[in-house]
Amino acid sequence: MNSSSTKLFPSSMARPSRRDVLSAIGSGFGMMGLSQTLPAATATTPRAPHFAAKAKHVIYLFLNGGPSQVDTFDPKPMLTKYHGKPAPSGNLRTERKTGALLGSPFQFPRCGKSGLEISEIFSELGRHADDLCVIRSMHTERPNHEPSLFMLNCGHVLPGHPSMGSWLNYGLGTENQNLPGFVVLCPGLPVIGPQLWSSAFLPAVYQGTHIPNQETDPEKLIQHLRNKQHNLEEQRKQLDLLRQLNRMHLKREGNDSQLESRIESMEIAYRMQTEALDAFDIRKEPEAVRARYGDGPFARGCLLARRLVERGVRMVQVYYGDGQPWDNHDDILIHKRLAQNSDKPMGALLQDLKDRGLLQETVVIIGGEFGRTPSVEVSGLVKYQNGRDHNNHGFSMVLAGGGFKGGFAYGATDEFGFKAVDKPVHPHDVHATILNQLGMDHLRMTYRYSGRDFRLTDVAGNVIKDLIA
Amino acid sequence: MRFLVLLISVTCAGQRVDPVEFFETKVRPVLAKNFFSCHTQTKLGGLEMTSRESLLKGGKSGPAISPDRPEESLLLQAIKRTHERMKMPPPPNAALTADEIKDIERWITRGAVWPPPVGAKTAGPGYKITPQQRAWWAFQPVRKPALPAVKDKTWARVPVDQFVLAALESKGLKPVAQASKREWIRRVTYDLTGLPPAPQDVDAFAADASASARAKVVDRLLASPHFGERWGRYWLDVARYSDDKLNSTQDEPYDNAYRYRDWVIQAMNNDMPFDTFVKAQLAGDLLPDKEKYVAGLGFFALSPQFQDDRVEVTGKAFLALTVACATCHDHKFDPIPTKDYYALLGVFTSTDQGEFPLAPQNVVDEYRARTKAVDESKEKLNKFLDTQAKQLSEVLAERAADYVRAARKVVNESADRKITAAQMKLDDPTLERWVDYLKLPAREHKFLDGWQEEAKLPAEQIQKTLVNVINEWKDVEEKNFIRLGGSMARNDLARADLLSLPRDKWLLWRDVFSNQRHARFTSGILYYKDGVIDRFLSGEWKAHFEGLRAELDRRKKAVPDRYPYYHVIRDRAKPRNERVRIRGSNENLGEEVPRRFLSVLCDDEPQPFQKGSGRLELAEGIASARNPLTSRVFVNRVWHYLFGAGLVRSLSNFGQLGEKPSHPELLDFVAARFIEEGWSLKKLVRELTLSSTYGLSYQTDAKALVSDPDNRLLWHATRRRMDVEALRDALLAASGELDTKAGGAPEPLTMEKNLRRTVYGFVSRRKLDGTLALFDFPNPNSMSEQRIPTATPLQQLYFLNSKFLMDRAEAFSKRLEKEAETDPARIKQAYRILFYREPERAELDAGLAYLKSNPKAWPEYAQVLLSSNEFVFY
Repeated sequence: MNSSSTKLFPSSMARPSRRDVLSAIGSGFGMMGLSQTLPAATATTPRAPHFAAKAKHVIYLFLNGGPSQVDTFDPKPMLTKYHGKPAPSGNLRTERKTGALLGSPFQFPRCGKSGLEISEIFSELGRHADDLCVIRSMHTERPNHEPSLFMLNCGHVLPGHPSMGSWLNYGLGTENQNLPGFVVLCPGLPVIGPQLWSSAFLPAVYQGTHIPNQETDPEKLIQHLRNKQHNLEEQRKQLDLLRQLNRMHLKREGNDSQLESRIESMEIAYRMQTEALDAFDIRKEPEAVRARYGDGPFARGCLLARRLVERGVRMVQVYYGDGQPWDNHDDILIHKRLAQNSDKPMGALLQDLKDRGLLQETVVIIGGEFGRTPSVEVSGLVKYQNGRDHNNHGFSMVLAGGGFKGGFAYGATDEFGFKAVDKPVHPHDVHATILNQLGMDHLRMTYRYSGRDFRLTDVAGNVIKDLIA
Repeated sequence: MRFLVLLISVTCAGQRVDPVEFFETKVRPVLAKNFFSCHTQTKLGGLEMTSRESLLKGGKSGPAISPDRPEESLLLQAIKRTHERMKMPPPPNAALTADEIKDIERWITRGAVWPPPVGAKTAGPGYKITPQQRAWWAFQPVRKPALPAVKDKTWARVPVDQFVLAALESKGLKPVAQASKREWIRRVTYDLTGLPPAPQDVDAFAADASASARAKVVDRLLASPHFGERWGRYWLDVARYSDDKLNSTQDEPYDNAYRYRDWVIQAMNNDMPFDTFVKAQLAGDLLPDKEKYVAGLGFFALSPQFQDDRVEVTGKAFLALTVACATCHDHKFDPIPTKDYYALLGVFTSTDQGEFPLAPQNVVDEYRARTKAVDESKEKLNKFLDTQAKQLSEVLAERAADYVRAARKVVNESADRKITAAQMKLDDPTLERWVDYLKLPAREHKFLDGWQEEAKLPAEQIQKTLVNVINEWKDVEEKNFIRLGGSMARNDLARADLLSLPRDKWLLWRDVFSNQRHARFTSGILYYKDGVIDRFLSGEWKAHFEGLRAELDRRKKAVPDRYPYYHVIRDRAKPRNERVRIRGSNENLGEEVPRRFLSVLCDDEPQPFQKGSGRLELAEGIASARNPLTSRVFVNRVWHYLFGAGLVRSLSNFGQLGEKPSHPELLDFVAARFIEEGWSLKKLVRELTLSSTYGLSYQTDAKALVSDPDNRLLWHATRRRMDVEALRDALLAASGELDTKAGGAPEPLTMEKNLRRTVYGFVSRRKLDGTLALFDFPNPNSMSEQRIPTATPLQQLYFLNSKFLMDRAEAFSKRLEKEAETDPARIKQAYRILFYREPERAELDAGLAYLKSNPKAWPEYAQVLLSSNEFVFY
């Protein structure tokens, strides 16, 4: 949309009404903010997708640091067989020096009716194998955390591009106006931090709201959620007065959608206080449910994700933890401990979504920023040689729900798990396919900025039809 | 079947044509015309069309040609448009003609012969800027147009108005009425200083009936130090200013960044000519009087350091050209060959980050010498201690068997530890460590499992294991040292092929011999760190140790505070040209490009820069009256800040994909005036704010709304929500708490007693302040041309609940308490301070009713007024 020809509002209207703004937004509202404060109520109201959607929400479980594909979702018997020997075709260049092949210390039992092979460290996840769509042929540009984190989250290797959650809220709005439409749960910060859920050049209303979920008290989770001095009743009186004064002002000034929308937004904020407190309070879950998820920030994050999606939040992202826990250069056995804290909650989340009929309308993504080398790292940066270096040439990502095939593995890495060779999939393709499930054409969901139409998928991305049930 | 038919048709044609000639005459021209723009330098869809091999390899949808089943080749399906999805060239481009399709089909079925290229491959064919490209409006010289004729001779106050009015009249439109004096002074005060006017200033202006009343206000505001704080911040958005780096794992402040921020503010206050302002930021160190300008280099020195954004920012900030689009290929729309990108990149890669000390050289030298002395002292001490600790651990390991036996007594037989140690002539603290370690329920290795019983694991064997492990470890270290050539540089470590102990042995080594933490131990159990090793030292060793420690303490105390400095860039000793990265790939280098200016902005062939990196020549090329972009781009930004939208709405893109100016002549007039007036921002702002156009009211007009709903023709003023700086500052001004101290080190806005202007708050790239992020502050990781204001419920929570707002409301009500006696008088005073008017009857009554219901309700009432639309919008 070129804003020089933008007709945001039908010109017959004396002033744009909410509906006009909505229809204008539906077509992408490029430069709208220039002359008008973007009315929140309309900017985030649910909008019709481009075509019928299979899913409405996204839960992105981000195993930050780069989980190893050959120890989780991509079994390689050849790797075990040639353990300790050099790879016949040599090692691909990654960030650091690697040496001989390192067989996975984990077993890969066949799971579910589909017989999908999933590492024993994810046994709970394995019980849901028939709901999992495993992409075994992921690849991305660089063997470094930062560019890959940006790529997986924002579709670009450099900072300054909007995150997927921001794009989804821009394109589709969100269903619950009393909650932020894009919530990010991470105790502390992942590497890079808030840039990963930035709205960049999209309006700030679409940025992710970071909830430091090491806290359990919901009042500590969202800034300014609760008034320390006035109770709700007192505040209602205050707001009534404010509304009265704002109405008088509006009448004097003649109708102006900006003024009107702020009045409305104030009411939403008032309601949000109760709604958000409730949504973020996992203490309201029955003990049995909380026990199924287990304890710890990631478990709480998974449970919160379900509570939020249930309430209409468009996208929830749960980071495994502060920093980059899955970055196991020294010792791949650490994966086992990390899985102990994440396997159970992920399994519980899938079960819970299924029980509530939410899984079919929620895309669940499990994965990190890249994979790891099948060869052992021998660089001077490791303490001992039982771990793996970063690997952008091949890794796995798991999708579930939201109309994706279950019990299904797509694509393949080479026989040792180094490089995606069969049906390689780039993060742009995953983004395009997820958007597709949410009813959005990644080519058409654009935002005009600085004279160019930007997309989540930059100038690439293909919807992978084979992944779709 | 079809395949057969095809073969026959080819055969039947009966002509023997040289396949190379056929390709060159029939096929290549068709491919070139239709596909090369998307599939050579750029590989859309992953498909490259530069050779037979590249077609066989294909793109994301698979091979473009299939030699086994040529008739099913994707390329054929695409050009025949029989493929369900892929139709090439993509509509609305016309499909190939039947003959062209036939030729390509024939070519494919006969093996797709594609002769190898002749000569070496370069970045692309010679790039020529066409006359059509040069004819683009933004590349035309700035010429001052004549004033247009207008019908209404009374409306225009300044020449600018005549252009606006002429455009409106040509559409049969009229501007709405002028804003009230109250509205105007509020607007101009916010626009020029980011602060609300004082009530007495409003009164004085209202009472001033002279013709120069507005000019007096504008002149007063331009002279205010707050002008620079407002306009400097606008530039800081463009400069992606931040007080820290984007470090991916921890906070990393730029401790002297604020000196650039203060320099920008001062430059605005001093009305530094904009051309000089530009030159200072590119080459301040190379200008005469460099002390005045060198701080400007912070523009580049404070970059995010995560990416090389310098060419991109130079292009967009000063020239509104998206030069970075030419990183991988010639710009698709604008006349910017990829060589131009690398010509500029060479300028920046020939510079380094550095510091410009603001202290005499001897002070700098002393600081550096003293910190170096501390580092040396530290290293010496640590090395000494580490050597002692390692030796001691080996000595203690030689008695491990005795310690294990003693530990058995203590654990198995509950013997007293101290007595046991004394009896067996062992060191009690060491025995204590052994006992604690052996008692751990589990260890990460299995070497000590069963230690409790001699029968299971003899004590001597434990000792042997330990001695072996330490020897193996030393062996590995030695070999690695040789492999690394002694280097400890991170890069060398990352790429080295080294040895290590096996996992379990390493864990044993760590637990016993290393200086690393494990379980609840602060080091290996036999490794005594600083603070606990002292008691093992005696005689000469002890004296030496104490000497080192005393020396370190002395040296630490002698280090003076760090001297202040500017973050700057400077030329490298040996500037060098960049080579074109073909398709942006570092592995695929093309020809070397001399450092020089952008081709389209040069009359002839651009000449290589001669001086150092070429920064000064680049700066002169940009900050030149002959440059058609620089003045236009800047005056357009100024227009945007004052009117809410630029004459060109894409502020940082004047190229083909940007927007064309709504009033091209007006833009040129303003740009020409700007240059004429010595690139003076203040003169420009003065002229614009005194215009009738600026003085319009917010009124609407049914007719104008129909023909110009977007207000591109400027028939009325646009109401704006205050940006976060103005909002926070206005709240502090209303409550009477604003601390107007200028400049200096930033403090977090979250700090309760930080009552300074928002522009002086800490700006973080890593974690932007919550309030800034909430109210649309731009992401300082990339250049921001404008802020997109939003009105979200989360923002309203700030008004409802934030401590900051509650505190201001409390202070505001206290102020009112002091300034007036009764509730009605206080309400009136509040309206005077916030809205510069008397409350209406209904407003007064509503206020009184609220206060009556709760005698302590003043702060709550004040909060309502501070949250009102009338306060927040201007």
